[in-house]
Amino acid sequence: MTEAILTTERLRLRRPGPQDLEGYRRFVRSQRARYFYFAKNDEEAWRLFCIELAHWDLRGFGMFAITTHEDDNCLGLVGHWYPEGWIEREIGWLLWPEAEGKGYGFEAARACVDFAFDVLAWDTAVSYIEEGNTRSFALAEKLGAYWDEAATTRAADLRVYRHPHPSERPEEGSA
Amino acid sequence: MSEAILTTDRLRLRRPTPRDLDGFMAFARSQRARHTFFADSDASAWNSFCLVLAHWDLRGYGLFSVTARDDDTCLGMIGPFYPEGWAEPELGWLLWPQAEGKGIAHEAALAARGYIFDVLAWDGAVSYIGEDNSRSIALAERLGARWDESAVTRSKACRVYRHPARTERAA
Repeated sequence: MTEAILTTERLRLRRPGPQDLEGYRRFVRSQRARYFYFAKNDEEAWRLFCIELAHWDLRGFGMFAITTHEDDNCLGLVGHWYPEGWIEREIGWLLWPEAEGKGYGFEAARACVDFAFDVLAWDTAVSYIEEGNTRSFALAEKLGAYWDEAATTRAADLRVYRHPHPSERPEEGSA
Repeated sequence: MSEAILTTDRLRLRRPTPRDLDGFMAFARSQRARHTFFADSDASAWNSFCLVLAHWDLRGYGLFSVTARDDDTCLGMIGPFYPEGWAEPELGWLLWPQAEGKGIAHEAALAARGYIFDVLAWDGAVSYIGEDNSRSIALAERLGARWDESAVTRSKACRVYRHPARTERAA
């Protein structure tokens, strides 16, 4: 198993590797990716996965492959995203369909928000979420993020959710 | 300096690293890249560089960064290239403008082709070249490659040059 960079109660977060390509390819070729990067063919899916891998080389951080503690199978990518051309540093999450509905997205993303502020020393972090992606809106709000309508967005149909510093985020359930 | 995988009289060929980003970006944003990795934005050029880097992770080989023997500055990228969607495995070359006119591409491409046949053990290799890229066509011909008009090409304006296999060159 590749060494974990972060661990939570149920999950390991590690750097993605070539073994994660197939799950990623299936995701970006499916309708589940319509709010993200829907890839029109395998060639495009491969190119997108290259960005996921090389983001780590170029930035020193990137999206983590998330797995359970029991095995090394990637269940989705959650982490830190700031490729060339991005406006602000982002906390992103992509969950493969078989891993949905278990709170994994929240558990991994919460650890990544803390890591962004505590370890990467980001001043702020956002999540860009497309109109209509209600599941992602709900996750952002559960994480304590709020829709920052004044922030510059990357496209007209993208909302910018801003993550408060962990010391300032609202108590869970009180929002 | 990163470890060289191949060396020639004048050159070192090594795996590309993040330090090679700026030279690649300048190339990809210029008209010199119109036949290959042309990028209409920095974001697009950065994404293309990610493809060059991660190709090594996914395939175990990829374009080499070419440098002088005594300086680690990347002068261009030359080597085996076979991303998802390519019709055939390719020997590709990209030379930054300041390195042109010195026979560097020929010297590096010969070494890379030897690696392709001797180490990677490919059955064959092609180079996809824009039909109006006369310098690249001249290099392909100097390397002994021939325009294969019956091969599947990547676009109408792209020619497929087929490299002689090891046995043909030895003959």
